[in-house]
Amino acid sequence: MKFDMDYIAHHNELTETNPYLKLFLTIFLLVLTLALDNLYFDVFIFIVMSVVILAIAKINYRSYFKFLSIPMAFLVITCIFLMLFFGKGEVIYETGIFGIVITTDSLHYAVYTFMRVFGCLPCLGFLALTTPIAKILNCLRNMKVPRIMIEIALLMYNTIFIFLNEIDTMQKAQNTRLGYHSYWSSFKSLGALISTIFLRSLDKSETLQFALDSRGYTGELPVYEPRKKEN
Amino acid sequence: MLEVKNIKYSYNSDYQALKGVSLKVEKGEMVALLGKNGAGKSTLFLHLNGIYQPDEGQVFIDGEELKYDKKSLLKFRQKVGIVFQNPDDQIFAPTVEEDVAFGPLNLGLSMEEVQDRVEEALSRVGMSGFEKTAPHHLSGGQKKRVAIAGILAMKPEVMVLDEPTAGLDPQGVVDLSILLNELNDEGITIVISTHEVDLVPNYAKRVFVMVDGLLIAEGTPKEIFAKPEILEQANLKVPIVTDLFQQLEREGFDMHGDYPLTIEEAKEKFLELLDKN
Repeated sequence: MKFDMDYIAHHNELTETNPYLKLFLTIFLLVLTLALDNLYFDVFIFIVMSVVILAIAKINYRSYFKFLSIPMAFLVITCIFLMLFFGKGEVIYETGIFGIVITTDSLHYAVYTFMRVFGCLPCLGFLALTTPIAKILNCLRNMKVPRIMIEIALLMYNTIFIFLNEIDTMQKAQNTRLGYHSYWSSFKSLGALISTIFLRSLDKSETLQFALDSRGYTGELPVYEPRKKEN
Repeated sequence: MLEVKNIKYSYNSDYQALKGVSLKVEKGEMVALLGKNGAGKSTLFLHLNGIYQPDEGQVFIDGEELKYDKKSLLKFRQKVGIVFQNPDDQIFAPTVEEDVAFGPLNLGLSMEEVQDRVEEALSRVGMSGFEKTAPHHLSGGQKKRVAIAGILAMKPEVMVLDEPTAGLDPQGVVDLSILLNELNDEGITIVISTHEVDLVPNYAKRVFVMVDGLLIAEGTPKEIFAKPEILEQANLKVPIVTDLFQQLEREGFDMHGDYPLTIEEAKEKFLELLDKN
């Protein structure tokens, strides 16, 4: 199964819910979770938000796990490093390698960091999985976030799909010709992929610029307000 | 209406993409620019609304010379709309309606006027109901329609389409050529670049042939497709129907130099030949 976050954001039970509500709820819960810094609360928030995502927004559990799995991997690695290389205090475990030790302090750091992120992830997931980017950007714009940031986000959002598509196609083409058959060829293929993607991105950006200019682009993206639906 | 006079353009010192191109398109015409890949069609198109500034030569729209200051550019870009070959290059906004609204908003129209134009343009290309859709969830043909709507909403006098049928499925190609014919009937001058010759006689009243940065021929589809030496030079072929009748002639059917170009003409010709025998 392919994990398409954007598709999920457009097709769930909460897509049409007021985006401000979702945005503020997310920010509020994030701040609360970080401020309280309480392990039980972290678990509580994780469970509550997971229930909201799975039961109320009715998002497929496999998609949700996929969403969690990537940052989780980073989180686990980060926390292992935190545990081994940071903090001072009483030594509680000696690994016996290069004098690396776990101290009470570092264990505390690692556990708390892990749980904080663990609690915050579903909060972010709630926003990311239930709200189309266009709506989030619209909210931010109305909240007077600097235009330049929104414009960059908007252009990035659109081009990232084209970018990912290109990478996907090129990688398949390389695979077809056994580009990733051995370690050495993988390195070479990946290098070729990156350099080609870079050149192609430059090319695409020029064409996009021409297309925008053709429609009278003045260096600032104007804001369209759709007509309110008459009820 | 739209006139190009002796345009020369080089990308760098050793490669001249346009070597002195002149052409004239009258108001309300629908013309085709034929040429193989790399003949300079896209480069020429980018001159038509001032994206590229020629090394030599001028562009005239409505008899007025194209100037390259900000104000004139905006004016000319409203008059001449370019639909790019790949809709992904053109559509950038997160929703269909925002993308269509982009051009009109840049023209500084009131929000109400823009809303009207968005609605009108989308219904014109048959994409009403997709206002809130994200463009990357659309099919190739639908994206093309949205790209055209984005240009239509600016109410251009001339619409320039670069390889509009590239990447479309057969039904998409048919729908598109119907749409373009309708738009032309409504008074929009249309210039199309292509190397797919089969459809050209269906819409184009006049054809230009481009080879290596030069226009080598100009005429009605009938005239152009009767000149094998020109087609050969341009790496093009005659439409498939015409090919059939040229082969029939070699079998002994006299065509009197009049080869059908479209299915309709071919049908008539067949019936005529059947009657005779």
